[in-house]
Amino acid sequence: MEILNWIRFILAAVLITAGLVFYAIQFIGVFRFQYILTRMHAAAIGDTLGMGLVLLGTTLIYGFSMASLKVVIILAFMWFTSPVCSHLLAKLEVLSQRHRDDRCPVVKAEDIGKMHENAEQEKEAEA
Amino acid sequence: MFADMPALNSACHYFMIFVFGAFAVMFILCLIRMIIGPNVADRLLASNMIGGPVICTIAVLGILLNETYLLDVGLIYTLISFLAVVIISQIYIGVYREKNQKQELREKKLAEQTAAQAAKETAAVKKSEKREEN
Repeated sequence: MEILNWIRFILAAVLITAGLVFYAIQFIGVFRFQYILTRMHAAAIGDTLGMGLVLLGTTLIYGFSMASLKVVIILAFMWFTSPVCSHLLAKLEVLSQRHRDDRCPVVKAEDIGKMHENAEQEKEAEA
Repeated sequence: MFADMPALNSACHYFMIFVFGAFAVMFILCLIRMIIGPNVADRLLASNMIGGPVICTIAVLGILLNETYLLDVGLIYTLISFLAVVIISQIYIGVYREKNQKQELREKKLAEQTAAQAAKETAAVKKSEKREEN
């Protein structure tokens, strides 16, 4: 019975350190990216996998009780509401910036075909 | 947490203190992002990002102090941080929409004024050319 407790603790420790690694990836991404919309992509990595692994580790340590049920409920609620927050932040950024095309140029769907044709013509001209 | 085995209890205790310290560093990083960020959306992203480590810290504190009622606080914090992001983003969407409309009106007026001046100058140049021909 003692070994079972040790196994439980070691498994939970491994899960929690993996969650901390994903949180470190999130913070490195948020500080290295230059634009808000790309930073949001890095911030979502910590909210999903980082928090999931850390909270799963804590449920292992709490055991089979009411406390682990509460932790699972917190995790489920966070996973449901995090994409809503991301969409609202993106909407705020898109509606507020008027000169967004300087930082984040958007290519229309018709122009992508023309870009490919130009690239092919240049290759034929060189060859 | 593991009351029967003192060795495992102290190992768990020290590991949770280490994890607690790691989360404390994350709070400071979130604050730095909130101070540096040039736009409103950057600061709002930082305030949403600080909620994740806070909930994990509360869960870890429940293990450290052996009190499980702290998890109720964590659940309520999740709800409130989500609500804060929704409300603040809606407020700032309204504010920026008004600001952009006013700026567009101003730019339209400026463009009309410059177009009117350019039309007057071309009309004056044409008149002077006609006089020279005559």
